[in-house]
Amino acid sequence: MGGESGEILQRKQAAYTCLDEPFEIGNEKYGGQQYSQIYFARLHVAKTLLYSLIPLWKPELPVCTVLSLEEGKECVIVGTLYKHMKLKPRILDEYSKERSVIPLVKPHNFMDADDYLILEDEGGRVKLDGTVLLPSVYVTGVVVALLGKETTKGDFLVDEVLEAGLAPQIDRPLKLEEDKYVVFVSGLGVGNMTANPLQFQLLVDHITGHLGDEKEQHMAAQIVHVVIAGNSVEIPSEFFNGQNLASKDQSKLSDPIKELDILLTQIAAGLPLDIMPGPNDPTNFALPQQPLHRCLFPSSRVYNTFRSCTNPHCFELDKIKFLGTSGQNIEDMGKYSEAKGELEFMERTMNWRHMAPTTPNTLGCYPFTDRDPFLVESCPHVYFAGNQPKYDTSLLNGPEGQIVRLISIPKFCETGVAVMLNLRNLECHTISFEAEFS
Amino acid sequence: MMKSYYKQKKPNRSDAVGKPSKSIKKKSPAALITSPHGAPHLQEDVEKSEQVLREFDMNMAYGPCIGMTRMARWQRAQRLGLDPPGDVKNLLDSGKTETKSLWDDRV
Repeated sequence: MGGESGEILQRKQAAYTCLDEPFEIGNEKYGGQQYSQIYFARLHVAKTLLYSLIPLWKPELPVCTVLSLEEGKECVIVGTLYKHMKLKPRILDEYSKERSVIPLVKPHNFMDADDYLILEDEGGRVKLDGTVLLPSVYVTGVVVALLGKETTKGDFLVDEVLEAGLAPQIDRPLKLEEDKYVVFVSGLGVGNMTANPLQFQLLVDHITGHLGDEKEQHMAAQIVHVVIAGNSVEIPSEFFNGQNLASKDQSKLSDPIKELDILLTQIAAGLPLDIMPGPNDPTNFALPQQPLHRCLFPSSRVYNTFRSCTNPHCFELDKIKFLGTSGQNIEDMGKYSEAKGELEFMERTMNWRHMAPTTPNTLGCYPFTDRDPFLVESCPHVYFAGNQPKYDTSLLNGPEGQIVRLISIPKFCETGVAVMLNLRNLECHTISFEAEFS
Repeated sequence: MMKSYYKQKKPNRSDAVGKPSKSIKKKSPAALITSPHGAPHLQEDVEKSEQVLREFDMNMAYGPCIGMTRMARWQRAQRLGLDPPGDVKNLLDSGKTETKSLWDDRV
């Protein structure tokens, strides 16, 4: 890189640590286990945590299990929420003989005014009542502590709710003096017929410092890392009809990936790059998605700056902790609960200390037996979700001084927007590209 | 509760040992008690250790047992701080016991 004056711009660097280990399926062996195991692991860990918080919250009240509830006696219970939703698609509906009168599903999600919550612990389950715990806010799989009492009907009337809250956070290094940027982009959709391939090329050229004047190149030299959060390729759906492909079509199947490889090579030649898989990418579907195979990228894999990562992805740059997904967790919560925007869903997952509570109920995940990798044990400094409808960002402040930068990353192929994050102060802005053929 | 369940079935044991393959096929409760590979003179011993291990299998405090080996389940309980019984570990370490849980391949 060099300006017109001949001055050589040195690209800045940041120390990188990959923390993807919990998301690697690697040595897991499937032995016919069911999803009860992951719920057991989740409930046990979250319950232990909540039990430690209850004495600070309601020191005077007894903690009960569902089976030991007594009518009218005020107590605290801890368990996993289950949301009963009559519009939720069920596999058995197809087989039911009578066509029941189920109201039509709304176009955007499966919520209904009659939805209600149930709390389950190791022993039993109880229907929850009251106006404090809103079914529209919660989803199946969240572990909470509830204060209330059993009613004559046998339901549990909830008076107060305790969520796990933000996990403890390691302090952010304060000595960072220089601006260093991380670029987030998702939904590149290489191979998408309607997207303009020039947009991504412009982004690549901008990142690598081949665009703009000296000032812009100065900016580009401060970019230390690129994260691609899922859905990098789009393979035309007509190839997924279960028919064998004609040999002339087989190249069409791999063309998007070849094109992506060429573009990624240009980035990887200049700076470190993490690519995470998303729901459209050629890897396993269930979370945690395993890294895209390196043989898909014959030319970019040569660079040690190229890293194919898991989804969810966790890493550190200059001791700043990043955690994020390609957006499936947030998208799925949008189908079964409501919020003002994606950031609110993200905020909730942080407060529940669980990235993807709807796994395994409505979102596919590997049936882990001894752990739940989506539990958030330590709070990240940056939490991102890819493939969201629009760009948005906010700062989430925790009671113990935790500060989390939330970023919802839009789909690049639709918006031409990538997100830049400054490591020094966690401030965020977008860069957008538009290219028109005249 | 579990104790009485076993007691109830015990009288069938001697019958079932005679024709183990048949009783497994039928998946009768007696099949769960028999240990098809146990040599006759070791019968009492195997029976006793199996009894301990089955009680461990059925103890819900340590989580579901389907799809894991007994050792993996014991280790999970240990890791989660549930303090699983040490004699179960000793039995599993001895290598003379069934590694799979009570319900394995039966559900």
